Amino acid sequence: MEWMITANEPGKTYLMQGNEAISRGALEAGIRFAAAYPGSPSSEILTMLGHVADEMEIYAEWSTNETCALEACLGASFAGIRSLCVMKQNGLLVVGDALHSASLSGVKGGLVLVVADDPSAHSSTNEFDSRHQSRSAAVPMLEPANMQEAKEMVRWGFELSEQLQQLVMVRTVTRINHGRSSVTLGEIPQHKQVPAVIGEWDRLVAINWFKDAQIAKIEQARTIFEESPFNWYNGPGNPDMMIITCGTGWLYGVEAVKALGVKDSVGILKIGTTWPLPEEFIVKHLVRTKKVLVVEEVDPFLEQNIANIIAYHPELNIELTGRHGQKIIPRNGELNPDMVRNALANMTGTTFQGPEVASIPFEEAVPLPPRELTFCAGCPHRASFFLLKQSLRIHEGRGVVMGDIGCYTMGGQRAGHFLFNFLSCMGAGISAAEGLGQLTRFGFDQPVVALAGDSTFFHTCLPALVNAKYHDSNMLFVILDNSATAMTGFQPHPGIGLTAMGKTAEPISIQKVVEAIGCPVTVADPFDIAGTTEIVYILLKQPGLKVLILKQECATLAVRKRKKAKVWVEQDLCRGDECGCGRFCSRVWGCPGNIWDYEAGKAKIDEVVCVGCGVCVSLCPAGAIKIEGGEAYE
Amino acid sequence: MSKELIKDPLNIIISGVGGQGNILATELLASALVEKGYFATVGETYGASQRGGSVMSHVRISAATEYGVLIPLQQADIIVSFEPTDTLRVARDYANKSTLIITDSRPNYPLGVLIGEAQYPPVEAIEAELKKLSGQVQIIEATNLALKAGNSQATNILLMGALTALPSVPIDIDDYERILEQRFSGQVLEMNRKVLKIGYEQVK
Amino acid sequence: MSGGMELKNEVLASSTCALCGACLDWCPYIANIEDHLVLRFDCNIQNGRCYSVCPRTFTDWEAISEKYLSAIPRDLAIGPYLKAYKVKAAKGINGQQDGGTVSYLVKTILEDKLAETVLLTGADDYITPQPFLSSEVDDIQKTAGSRFLASPGMRKIIEAQSNNVQKLAIVGRPCQIQALRKLDYNRPPQKPEMEVLSIGLFCMWSLGWAFRDYIQKEFPGEEILRLAIPRHGFEVTTDKGVHELPIDTVKKFSKAGCNYCLDMTSELADISVGAFEPQEGWNTVIIRTLKGQQLFHQAVARGYLVSEKYPEDELNRLKSASLGKKTRNLNHIQTAFDKGVKPFIDLNSAYYVQLKELAEGMVK
Repeated sequence: MEWMITANEPGKTYLMQGNEAISRGALEAGIRFAAAYPGSPSSEILTMLGHVADEMEIYAEWSTNETCALEACLGASFAGIRSLCVMKQNGLLVVGDALHSASLSGVKGGLVLVVADDPSAHSSTNEFDSRHQSRSAAVPMLEPANMQEAKEMVRWGFELSEQLQQLVMVRTVTRINHGRSSVTLGEIPQHKQVPAVIGEWDRLVAINWFKDAQIAKIEQARTIFEESPFNWYNGPGNPDMMIITCGTGWLYGVEAVKALGVKDSVGILKIGTTWPLPEEFIVKHLVRTKKVLVVEEVDPFLEQNIANIIAYHPELNIELTGRHGQKIIPRNGELNPDMVRNALANMTGTTFQGPEVASIPFEEAVPLPPRELTFCAGCPHRASFFLLKQSLRIHEGRGVVMGDIGCYTMGGQRAGHFLFNFLSCMGAGISAAEGLGQLTRFGFDQPVVALAGDSTFFHTCLPALVNAKYHDSNMLFVILDNSATAMTGFQPHPGIGLTAMGKTAEPISIQKVVEAIGCPVTVADPFDIAGTTEIVYILLKQPGLKVLILKQECATLAVRKRKKAKVWVEQDLCRGDECGCGRFCSRVWGCPGNIWDYEAGKAKIDEVVCVGCGVCVSLCPAGAIKIEGGEAYE
Repeated sequence: MSKELIKDPLNIIISGVGGQGNILATELLASALVEKGYFATVGETYGASQRGGSVMSHVRISAATEYGVLIPLQQADIIVSFEPTDTLRVARDYANKSTLIITDSRPNYPLGVLIGEAQYPPVEAIEAELKKLSGQVQIIEATNLALKAGNSQATNILLMGALTALPSVPIDIDDYERILEQRFSGQVLEMNRKVLKIGYEQVK
Repeated sequence: MSGGMELKNEVLASSTCALCGACLDWCPYIANIEDHLVLRFDCNIQNGRCYSVCPRTFTDWEAISEKYLSAIPRDLAIGPYLKAYKVKAAKGINGQQDGGTVSYLVKTILEDKLAETVLLTGADDYITPQPFLSSEVDDIQKTAGSRFLASPGMRKIIEAQSNNVQKLAIVGRPCQIQALRKLDYNRPPQKPEMEVLSIGLFCMWSLGWAFRDYIQKEFPGEEILRLAIPRHGFEVTTDKGVHELPIDTVKKFSKAGCNYCLDMTSELADISVGAFEPQEGWNTVIIRTLKGQQLFHQAVARGYLVSEKYPEDELNRLKSASLGKKTRNLNHIQTAFDKGVKPFIDLNSAYYVQLKELAEGMVK
């Protein structure tokens, strides 16, 4: 809750979400600048800071992409201003060059980069361990084990950053970002930073001259971390085995030790400063045991750095286990208490006595239909994928469709009639299509279509579009413009006209940008399925680069703005299962608002789910779906 | 007379389909618990799951210490669910013979069922298996009751009302009401109060 | 099992589709973009209307001919008929093709209420066919002149049925008249009969819509006013003048589906109309049924049409031209069946065997 992050109640304890705690931590550090690009599970941080920006007199920005965000923070830091940068795991890869360069040049005002990883890829296409980047870029990194630590580490991160004149990473995972727990508030400073004067000879320059300084900084961090209160040991003086853990692994480890009753033989070494590792501190504890289990999220990063330490200290005699060996903790997927407890049971030779559980034989179990992801009722993407699939059928399935990242990524599944052939990272769709579109000269004659959303367009597609136009690739670029960065929670982007701080801004017209690059653009409404199908067909017949903007507002936004129309199925007109329909609305169109009544043998509209967009009305072959009232969709 | 926490930690799972408001309801519950001085940790999965996927919240309550956000398998003490097939899915993984289950009976059809490629099982069959897996099952027509009260989107608060009526949950209906008063006002507050009571009565 | 998927796999996939249009507009699965027919999404129906009306799925044409033209004297070359005439409109109609006969037959139908609605095909740009239903005599002007691009006109039957039309007239190509008869032949017993009066056109082949793109590229910026095959070449009249294209160039654009057609003169229609080759400005009219005969006499009685005796040698030439198409296409059909296309006629039945023999005889 936003009021929590600004509350002037030091010492008060609230239930806070990890992201709220991070925002609070940044405010307690007195930041005046924050920039980010939306990405689950991190998006709430900048959203909240944007909402309280006026009240707290800070600047908060939804940058066009993560590189803009990080470099903007670097700029603010140059003037001595404490800046917070936030992104998800994929964003950290996008800023690779910027990150390594910033680490080389160093910073002036504290700069904390919060990176949110997504183990098991709950809200991502892949799972990735951002911690490798801290080692690669020689950037100190902190890993919170709970929400209180998330706040403290972000707050202290700014102090560390200024002490070292280096940026500091804080790495969280979904369970921290989106989990909630008790957090005790600290103080928000009254004094507001003022930008320093940047003198003629002041420098922030990323050249190799500074490499020695960069290495010295990481060594300095290591010395500081040796005494850090974020690292501690709990357990017997000479444990038979030791769990070494960071992040969420800590609480799972504590619970596992309790559940197995092994607290007299198993100790837990909790590390919060995951890079650079406090070597002396760790060695001091390693000498007291023979067996170590490393518990961490995603990759065996901590484990292999500890393996390095062990290699450099031949006096240590340790049997080291963790994700790397894949023997008792799987290599893939997020941690959970059962996984950790089972690994510990395995290593200590104990068994867990759980509560009594019923076991249902497979034949008696009720078969459950799976719950697949789909587009919301009224989503323009459903219409776009439907009409694209339809138009490509003319080419007898030879169309090649390159997808991209956003709500429309789900179009690669049943909801979008399995339209995509290709999916990679943001902006990859149009770039890959450009390559395919150059193969016409070698005899490749299949129609090539690339998709991108409006936010994705600004994020990465611009250089790719210039590339495609300049080299005149044979392809159709379809921009799915629903006026939203919907998947991550409706953050504004440059096409919308609103900023993170709620101010209006001059929206940048996608159509004008594309035209300025020199591409002929067609704008169509995906809700006009018949008309737009025809347009796609005509465009695909033409050579060269074609751009089509399918413009219709995201249903979740639209439904808030207008009075909902009433939609229903006239039962005696409905053809249902018969020739001439075959349950077209529910079976083929697939909107969750169109449901099939098995008993009546007719189609129905679920009024709770339906948003009144009226597209199914135009699709019913018998004209049985009726619509009344409500405000029209443009 | 305030209720005490008997089982420590008390593990509650609140589950539904994206968009049903279980995240908000859970957050209010956990806030009420923190106000009373308990450790409450909530783990959630949302993001892509908002678009028609299942959403599950794990709540862990303790008087002694903080717990990790995920409940271990088969260790849920209470399961509150908005949707019957989700209730069963959750129960199969998290219920044990002492678990108490409260579920709505209104189906929310997944895509496969809507297009006629999968069957939605009869709610009676679901109830029967739930009874085998747990200690007690209570079906509440939460969505219908909320609809009758005037707002089908208030199902979440209604189910929270039912939760506060359970002896094992260490908060009372007025504790939850206090949190509602902090967050809402006007007509929304009145509606939430109304459905909270309706839910409470279903269990009492 | 014969529904949309079978239509797709047997007809659409093998390019035998004639673009008659009879399968369109009933269900949401089958759609056309210009002259391409496609199954947009997979249909799950086991027995579909589309399959049962399609002239390119298995049909016993003899039985259909027996039913709708029973007791009419048979002719293997040009189908069952009562009489043939050389005909032209007494007063011309702007833009007319040849003798303008069809336009005045339609006028008669509407004025004498022989049907309440007529299925016609117009073309606003003189080339893109636009089928429509009309009850207005004034609309006839829009439809004067031949449509060379294949038009899926039979789709309009759905509209006629939903408007509860009791008596319909249609002007159509041979494949469309075939579909019309098949539609009634396979009609489920509980569906009411719609009385149809059919004017069938002569047709050697129809053109694909790529021909329109070709003309637009050949004569850029010119407005098309008229298309015709007056004698030997293909004439394109635009606002800039008259262009002649060699027939062979034009034939390259004919639809593949036309190669499997064995009907040049609309042998199942009530009355068939085509060009009268020897003399410009006249039509050949073949009367096949009593309904067709009645229509013709009423048109003459109104003073719309004048007729002359049909010259014997021209009748023979017409018959051999028709047999020529049948011979060529019988070969195409055999080849297709040999390659695995699902047979849509039984080539071994008496009718086709006889036809083959007659054709071979004439060649000799």
